[in-house]
Formats: sequence, C-alpha cells, structure tokens
Amino acid sequence: MNIGSAIELKGLLWDIGVIIFKIAIVLAAVMGHVAYATYFERKVIARMQMRLGPMIVGPYGILQPIADGIKSFFKEDIIPANADKPIFFMAPVFGLMAALTTLAVIPFYDGFIISNINIGLLFIFAMSSLGVYGIILAGWASNSKYSFLGSLRCSAQVISYEVSLGLSLVGVMLMAGSLNLTDIVHAQQRYPGGLYIIPQFIGFFTFVVSAIAETNRTPFDLPEAETELVAGFFTEYSGMRFALFFMAEYTGMIVMSSVAVLCYLGGWTLPPFILKLLPFLAAVPGIVWFVLKLYACIFFYYWIRATLPRYRYDQLMSIGWKVLIPLSLVNVVITALMKLWFTNSHV
Amino acid sequence: MDATEEIIVSNDTGVKVVSRKEIGFFASLLRRVFFLEILQGMKLTLTTAFKKPVTQQYPKEKRQAKQGFRGLHALVRDPATGKAKCVGCGLCAAICPSRCINIFTSEGDNHEKVVDRYEIELLRCLYCSFCVEACPFGAVVLTEHYEYSDYSREAFFMTKDTLLDNWDKYMEGPKGRYYLEHFWRPKLEDFCTPHEQAIFKPKAAITSEPLSPVPITATGTAGEVSNE
Repeated sequence: MNIGSAIELKGLLWDIGVIIFKIAIVLAAVMGHVAYATYFERKVIARMQMRLGPMIVGPYGILQPIADGIKSFFKEDIIPANADKPIFFMAPVFGLMAALTTLAVIPFYDGFIISNINIGLLFIFAMSSLGVYGIILAGWASNSKYSFLGSLRCSAQVISYEVSLGLSLVGVMLMAGSLNLTDIVHAQQRYPGGLYIIPQFIGFFTFVVSAIAETNRTPFDLPEAETELVAGFFTEYSGMRFALFFMAEYTGMIVMSSVAVLCYLGGWTLPPFILKLLPFLAAVPGIVWFVLKLYACIFFYYWIRATLPRYRYDQLMSIGWKVLIPLSLVNVVITALMKLWFTNSHV
Repeated sequence: MDATEEIIVSNDTGVKVVSRKEIGFFASLLRRVFFLEILQGMKLTLTTAFKKPVTQQYPKEKRQAKQGFRGLHALVRDPATGKAKCVGCGLCAAICPSRCINIFTSEGDNHEKVVDRYEIELLRCLYCSFCVEACPFGAVVLTEHYEYSDYSREAFFMTKDTLLDNWDKYMEGPKGRYYLEHFWRPKLEDFCTPHEQAIFKPKAAITSEPLSPVPITATGTAGEVSNE
C-alpha cells in the first residue's frame, strides 16, 4: 500500500463520516418535526374549531407527541389471522423508507444536502410514487375490505395526480434549466423577481393541489376516509406499525412542502427587492428563511384540512384529469414559449 | 358552485321579498377561478382561530351549575327540629315515574306517622324533579351537586341518613333557603285547600289547628306506604 492510496482511503472515510453525520442530523431534525407537526396540527385545527387541543401532558400539552410515541411503541401489535404476514410486516417500512429517502436530495440551505444529484426533482417524483407501494401492499396484505378499498382508491388517486404534479414542475425546470434543486434555487436568485411563484402561479396552484392529493391529505384523503372506510389502508394496523404509516404521511408532507419552498418560494434565499428594502435581513442565516417558509406551507396544509370537507371520488378524478392536467399543460406551453421569446431577444 | 345572489327587499308593509338574481358570466367565472367559496371558508377558519376557545378543562375548572339544576337528591333538614321535614305522605313515591323512591312508615307513640326508611335508588332516577314538585312541605329536593360517580352500585342507594347528609353538605344555609323560596317552593305556601278536606300538614300546623286526628285502630299500627 503506498501513501497516495492511504490518503485516498482517509479522504473516503472522512467523506463517509460526513455523510453519516449529515444523515443523522437530517433524520433527527425531520423526525422531531414530524412529531411536533402532529402536535401543531392538533393545536391549529383545535383553535380553528374553538377548542383547545391537547392540554394535559406537559404545559399546553407540549409533551403530547412524546407520550403518543411511547404509547404506540408499547401497544399490542395485532396481526389479522388471514393477513399475508411478510408483506404485512414490510408495507409500513416500505412507505416510510420511500418518504425518508426523498430527504437525501433536498438542500436545506446552500451546500447542506446529503446527496447533490443532478436529477433531484426526478428522484423525488420516483420516490413519492414508490411510497404508494407501501399503501397498496398494506391494503392487499391486510385481507380486509376496508383496507383493500382504501388502497385501490389510493393507487388510482396517486397515479392521476402524479401526472399533474410532474407537469406542474416542468415549468420550473424550463425556467431554471435544471433538475437539481440547488441549481433551481440559484436560478431563482438570478431571476429579477426572486421567486418562481410570480411567473409560475398556475404551476404553483396545480402543484399545491396535486401535492395535497399526493400526500393523501384532506380534502383528498379518500384512501383513509375514516367516515367511509374506518381508517382506509391502515385499518388493520396497530401500535408501532400504525405509527410508521403516520410518520410516512407527515414526512411526505414535509417533503412536498420543501419542494414547494425550493421550487416556487426561493428556498433559503429572499427575493432581491426585499433585501434592497431591508438590507439587514441578509445577515439572517438561510436555514431560518427555509424553515419559516416550510412552516408556512405546513400551516397551509392544516388550514385546508380545518376548512374543507372531503371530495367525492368522481370529483377527485375530474379535478385531476379535467382541470389540473390541462392547466399544467397550458402552463408548460406558455413557459416554453416565453422562454424561447426572451432568450431569443437577449441573444 | 351556485352562481346566484340573494337580494332581500323589505318594503313598508314589513314583508320581506326575497328574489334571486343570476350573476353575470364573468362574475361567475371569476368566482370559479379564484375559488371564492373556498376562500370565504378559509377566512372563516382563520378568524375563528383567534377567538377564545369554548372548551372548559373540566377537572381543573368546574362550571357553576345553573340555578335550578337537578343534581343529587337530599332530604331537607328542618332547622327547628334538626330532623327531616318529611312526613312520609308518599306523594313523591306515588308520582315517581321510575318508581325509585321507597318509603316505610310506622305509627309513633302519639299516634303520629314516623318515617322509618326513606330510600332513593339513584341509578333508576331520571331526575325529572316530580318528587320535588309533589312534596307539599318542600322536604325532598335535588341539589346542585353532580359529581358523585362511584365504583359500586351500593354507593348509589340513598338512605334517609345519606340524604340528610347531602342536605348538610350541599344545601345548608342561605343557599338552601334561596332554593326553597324560588325553585322548590312547597305548594302549601301558595295554595289553600278547603278546611273540610283532609290534607297533610307538618306537626307545627297540626298543633295550631283544632283538628283532631282520626284514631287509628290497633290493626293499622304499622302502616306502610310503599310503591312496591
């Protein structure tokens, strides 16, 4: 072994250490956010219904997520007698894995990203589609009609909305000229408005609606419609396996909100006109802006949930196919034409 | 989405004329495009979020019962004698729809009626307050106390002593007097019966009136008024 390869090995180990450290930080932060997302969801919705929400565990119920976690960890794990056991065990892990893997390509601020790959957005789409497998397998393996109906609804819904979700982001890709999320944020900084939400408002709208449907949140929570299907695809799950589905849903929410922040709201940057107006804001670290924008997006999820009832299944399908997909297609065509026009006039 | 608008016209006769006016194509299009109804709903939820919640955290903060609340039963203790006002007439047991009041009486030394046992099965009671209304002397009442859950059925079987205790605990003093004045006012105080009609009256009233009690035969020494 010569000195050069030893140095190489040392560098490799250092890189691996750094990556593991980053993964640990991101996982801890996201899991903490998932736990407290449930708490704030309960609080926000309670206040919107003139209730108080959790108040018993700790001051203002602040320890409620921890109590819930401990409870679900020690709960009896009930498995239906006729369930397909290996798949039944695997499904929640599959769902959570798909949701957590997506976090690898999300830049939380400039340079802090676990894996800076060029097809970041595509990877997110792929993984969020893969997350549906967890739901479908859970519904199939439970051997229960409610679970099965929920998972069938979910597969149809996610396939329909995957299309408009992808198409809505094509406008952003065209404007930024990249699929890398860091590059998209940098391109927004160079853009005079500073935010892609201004030229891409149609795309933003279709993205928000499809993201709500993609994460199975109200008003598109048909896969787990508790008034119709008991709990939908996780009817037969209990204890920690149920909690895994819950974590997957909230992680998906955080991921979709992060994508909205990165692609439309400028990520960790502020638009230039605000910085010109209030120059001292530039001293605030970028992660603060990212997190604030993320919280605003997550609050929007809660707000929608507190306001809207569930759509009927045919309404869901007609919104997806008749409104969102044509709208996002129009957006793609307009963005492409504008880009062509502007770049030609510049050259 | 309904693209109509209600116009309410009130004329001099005070009659409201309600008509519907179709709104124009562009207005309805704008409503659809900007999700006006959803936005109105979201505005409502957001403004509600800043209102004061209506929740009362029960074990910590307790709501004061409204006046006239029908809670746990009690037998009124007569402040003059220190005993129950009840004379054992049995009207409460007779009117009770769920038949949960049992009264056992016997004849005392001076040929008066003595209430031996007065029992209420709380688990059968439906808190209609008929017994309170029926009582000519305001002797049985429903207090404001409502927190008396327990683990055994026996705890819900009220005897004369426990009912008198309830009075001492929850209604003794000016509160009870106020209630007797306003909510449980005995009929005796407001309505008179003709003199020739036999009525139940407390001991004090009997001594003041020259009405000789009918002598009871030896066979009826232990009269029993019960619903069972």
